[in-house]
Amino acid sequence: MTITRREIIKTGLAAGTALSMPTILRAQTSPDDARTVRWVTDGELVVFDPIVSLTLAQNHALAIYDTLFESDSKGIPQPQMVGKWGVSEDKKTYTFQLRDGLTFHDGSPVAAADCVASIRRWGQVDVGGKLIMAKVKDISKQDEKTFTITLNEPMPLLIPLLASSYVGYYLAIMREKDAKLPPTEQVTANIGSGPFKFNQALAKPGVSFTYDRNEQYIPRQEPADAFAGGKFVKVDRVVTQYISDQQTAFAALQAGEVDLVQVPSQVLYPVIKSDFNLELEIINTSGQDMFLRMNCLQKPFNNVKARQAMLHLIDQEAIMLAAGFDPNYIHPVTSIFGNSTPYSNDENTGWYKKGGDPERAKHLLQEAGYAGETVVILQATDWPPASNAAQYLANTLRKIGVSAELAPSDWAGVEERRAKKEPIEDGGWSVFISDFTNSKFGNPISLPLLAANGVDYYGWPKNDEYEALRAKWVEVETLEERQALARAMQRLAWDFVGTVMLGQHIEPIARRKSLIGLVHVPSAVYPMWNMQKAST
Amino acid sequence: MAAYILRRVVSAIAVMAMVGAFVFLLLRLAPGDPAAIIAGKSATAEVIAGIREQLGLNEPLPVQFIHWVRDMLRGDFGVSILTGQPVLKLISQRLEATISLSILTMILSVTVGVSFGILAAWRSGGLIDRILAAFSALGYSVPVFVIGYFFIYFFAIRTHWLPVQGYVPIDGGLRPWFVHLILPTVALSLAYIAFIARVTRASMLEVLSEDYMRTAAAKGASSYAMLFHHALKNAGVPILTVIGISFAYLIGGVVLTETVFNLPGIGRLVVSAINNRDYPVIQSVLILTSGMYVLINLTVDLAYTLIDPRIRY
Repeated sequence: MTITRREIIKTGLAAGTALSMPTILRAQTSPDDARTVRWVTDGELVVFDPIVSLTLAQNHALAIYDTLFESDSKGIPQPQMVGKWGVSEDKKTYTFQLRDGLTFHDGSPVAAADCVASIRRWGQVDVGGKLIMAKVKDISKQDEKTFTITLNEPMPLLIPLLASSYVGYYLAIMREKDAKLPPTEQVTANIGSGPFKFNQALAKPGVSFTYDRNEQYIPRQEPADAFAGGKFVKVDRVVTQYISDQQTAFAALQAGEVDLVQVPSQVLYPVIKSDFNLELEIINTSGQDMFLRMNCLQKPFNNVKARQAMLHLIDQEAIMLAAGFDPNYIHPVTSIFGNSTPYSNDENTGWYKKGGDPERAKHLLQEAGYAGETVVILQATDWPPASNAAQYLANTLRKIGVSAELAPSDWAGVEERRAKKEPIEDGGWSVFISDFTNSKFGNPISLPLLAANGVDYYGWPKNDEYEALRAKWVEVETLEERQALARAMQRLAWDFVGTVMLGQHIEPIARRKSLIGLVHVPSAVYPMWNMQKAST
Repeated sequence: MAAYILRRVVSAIAVMAMVGAFVFLLLRLAPGDPAAIIAGKSATAEVIAGIREQLGLNEPLPVQFIHWVRDMLRGDFGVSILTGQPVLKLISQRLEATISLSILTMILSVTVGVSFGILAAWRSGGLIDRILAAFSALGYSVPVFVIGYFFIYFFAIRTHWLPVQGYVPIDGGLRPWFVHLILPTVALSLAYIAFIARVTRASMLEVLSEDYMRTAAAKGASSYAMLFHHALKNAGVPILTVIGISFAYLIGGVVLTETVFNLPGIGRLVVSAINNRDYPVIQSVLILTSGMYVLINLTVDLAYTLIDPRIRY
């Protein structure tokens, strides 16, 4: 069994040929993707109905459905599907007329009855929607293109609430037969009237979803401005891909297999910046505000002094860095209305001190009569920033003599446990960490976190005086009046401390330079319209 | 033989029933609520409660278990709690990638691994043996994700020879199917090649030291005849066992490779289902993979009789 030199050469040539074959094969199999955008999403789309879920269903809905009003970059509501609208002299009856030429993807025209059913379904889950429904006397169609909302009393906030798609549940206008399903049952038809059609045949759950340009869609003529304006689709197809491994997603971007990675790993920022073909871009102009909630029903945080201690203890910059965020993309948050919303203010923010104030926190805990009770911090191990922040928090608490324990689980475990109102010994909790898009903090009606009625959001703080002010939010008419209310609410909020802010971080997307025209929005829900490949 | 197969099938059904019951209980005992996952991070408890009710998750556990078993016996694997898609459809969409990767990996691993093992045994103690031993140690000890990232960097990003990620079903063309599987197959195969080579070498060495091999050599048998006609056949049972175990493991355990190369396989399906607490999907995939384990083991056991006539059932 001797191997000759000739055989070695022959084998080498064969191996070389075999290795070079894939290049040829690849060239033959690469799709012509000049008008296809491949978009790596932040998570796996599993639920498609935006009224059932607040997850990636919102992105999906924004592509395939349209809505009545949308907010522009200044947060001002602008008509979208609505052509003309008006309000009666007594300010109780709103009349809406749909634009011409609106059709669903199955070819049927969008009718007033579809809007009525969609509003009613949305009104069962969205906090703002519920508020509208509580004041509604009647919603009914007047003719095929006209419908009215009649209220029991004037409600100046009606249009802003209808346009709050990026804050709460997306008011997707569905076909009447779909919108008649209960809001807990998923609509799986995926038939909207939006700028993209969902390509059911190419849907690969867990892998990719394909959205084709809706040739029948008639955009508004105004230029795109955040969610408002014309939804002009300049590509034929958008394929959203889920790549669970960040490194692989980045490699695919480098190799040109995908055009955009929605949330690139922060450790890759320097590499992205140094790659001539790639660019970081801030699409979500609002960023995310991380916060912690304390269980106000159980010791020690049933005592307001203990909650105030947490407010003084937190060093926002340190905790955001510990969470792993890039120092160039973090900011402290001192307003309950977040940073840069119309209602952000500096009322009662004397507690904020760069670096925190552990001594003051320790003193407040003593005043609260803290007797060594265990503080259980829910730690979402599958969400690294929140997991890191929880570890940092536990360590910080231990330093001032608090018996802090971490309760690690995945986010699903956190979600289940945070709903428990029982004491620690019975499976309860003391603290959990989460985040919301900063712009959501500008809407205390739709964001349950900003309620203090002891019901709406985990932690269950209760303050009647604050709630009375919040109730006025829908009654006042001008921005100045709401800003004054915001200051008053914040004065109380930082005294009873239902929430402790941990800071804001802004996450840029990574894209190939050939992909241009992305619409900037104050939200983590991203539009697919307007973008295009530079070569097309 | 027929009685043996029947016995194995009956015991397989029992094993799968136990796996099913165990998985059902374990999932319900683990923290996490599918309704909360569906509703999203900022959903209120009221909304989540509504979804729980809609999904029937409020029913007592025994009732849920009975419903599941009853439906399974009818061949109804149910629908995904999250997507509402039939579980069998989800599995069938994912099965092809896993089976493709597993088969290609086994073909490459067996071909190269057995050859290396024979070569190492034949040149035992020599330079080739030492080189192959080093290769085996390396292949066995370097994690697949390290090899995977290296391959991606070199073969996809630097040279653009092969795609970074993704999978093209076989009906999308044999070439794109194969091209997308080259890197994951090779990355995954290295450990299996090393494993099979080591077992083959050890098994061959044992046989090569037998008296009848010396007799064959004394009678002037060629190296080829000695290695392939006499030694390999007698060394075959442990090699076949290793191949069987490896193949069964591949079917259910290629999560890392599927993740690194973004292959939509069964491994990723089950990980995603576990993260989302999608009970029907997890239960069905585990039943299916345990069934495949049993089937592969049975096939291997039956194959013993082909290479060693002394084995009878």
